[in-house]
Amino acid sequence: MVTYKQDLPPKGGFNPIEFAARGPKRMFNGFTQFGLFLGITGLAWVGWSYVKEIIRKEKLELMDARIAVEPFIYAEKDRAILTHYRRCRDEENQLMKNVKGWETGTLWGEPVYHNMRSRYIKPSLEELLTHMSPSEQSDMISDKLYR
Amino acid sequence: MPYTNQEYLPSYEELTVPELEVTSAVFRTAAHHLGKYCDNVSKEFMLCRSEENDPRKCLNEGKAVTRCGFEFFGMVKKYCYAEFNQYMQCVDHSGRLMDFKSCRKTQATFDSCIKETFGQDRPELGYFSKVRLHQTCRPRPTLAPHILPERVPDPPSPEELRKPTDKLKNPHFTAAI
Repeated sequence: MVTYKQDLPPKGGFNPIEFAARGPKRMFNGFTQFGLFLGITGLAWVGWSYVKEIIRKEKLELMDARIAVEPFIYAEKDRAILTHYRRCRDEENQLMKNVKGWETGTLWGEPVYHNMRSRYIKPSLEELLTHMSPSEQSDMISDKLYR
Repeated sequence: MPYTNQEYLPSYEELTVPELEVTSAVFRTAAHHLGKYCDNVSKEFMLCRSEENDPRKCLNEGKAVTRCGFEFFGMVKKYCYAEFNQYMQCVDHSGRLMDFKSCRKTQATFDSCIKETFGQDRPELGYFSKVRLHQTCRPRPTLAPHILPERVPDPPSPEELRKPTDKLKNPHFTAAI
């Protein structure tokens, strides 16, 4: 009696052998793909032109707020900086009181800048930080507001 | 310090005025109306500052600006305190930019209160960003005249050099002989 199972081809035979090259199955063809691309880009373009206008107005409002407040900030800053100049000059007067030949604001009597027309001269960073301790100087340079 | 004792620096008394001690959020919320209320003094101060290029000469205008700010905030505190506070809290908590877009309702209540108190509308969008002209009776500043050294005499022209000269009249020649 036959007790083993023979390795036979399936009923109805094998499928035909696929020897031709097969590409993947595309959802859309080429024209549809380009059309979709152009359509979505067009819609996004139109939508962005609306959103851009809204963003521009928001930014303009913020810019308005900044410009409106500028004079108040500048007034306070000018007063603070002139106080600082005053204190530096007073400090230099105090320090070099007994030094012979020293005139405040000059280098042993020679002026620092050639200023024939009496313009306003902004002191350099070193001149502003002269009378501060090294830690305060580094704080000023790195804009550190609190320790 | 390049400032000698002879040069002018304002004294401590001139520089000590009551300062506006408010935070940036307060300035940001009140900016449009504050700018409109103090428009003339602000423009005067900024004009002075840009023409003179010298903060020592624009101290009075700066003090006028700060005083106007005090007036505005005093009146807001008196008549519109709750609306302003609400608006300010909204703007302060609206993100790192402190922008207005999520606070339109509180903005509307604040604007109506300002309209009742001061009678001024919110300026149109872009009012401060535009270039604005300002009429002023302050004269245009002029710098001190530049004191130049005396002009060195011109060298002789080629025609003069071609003319024959009497060598005996030249002191350098007679000295060399």
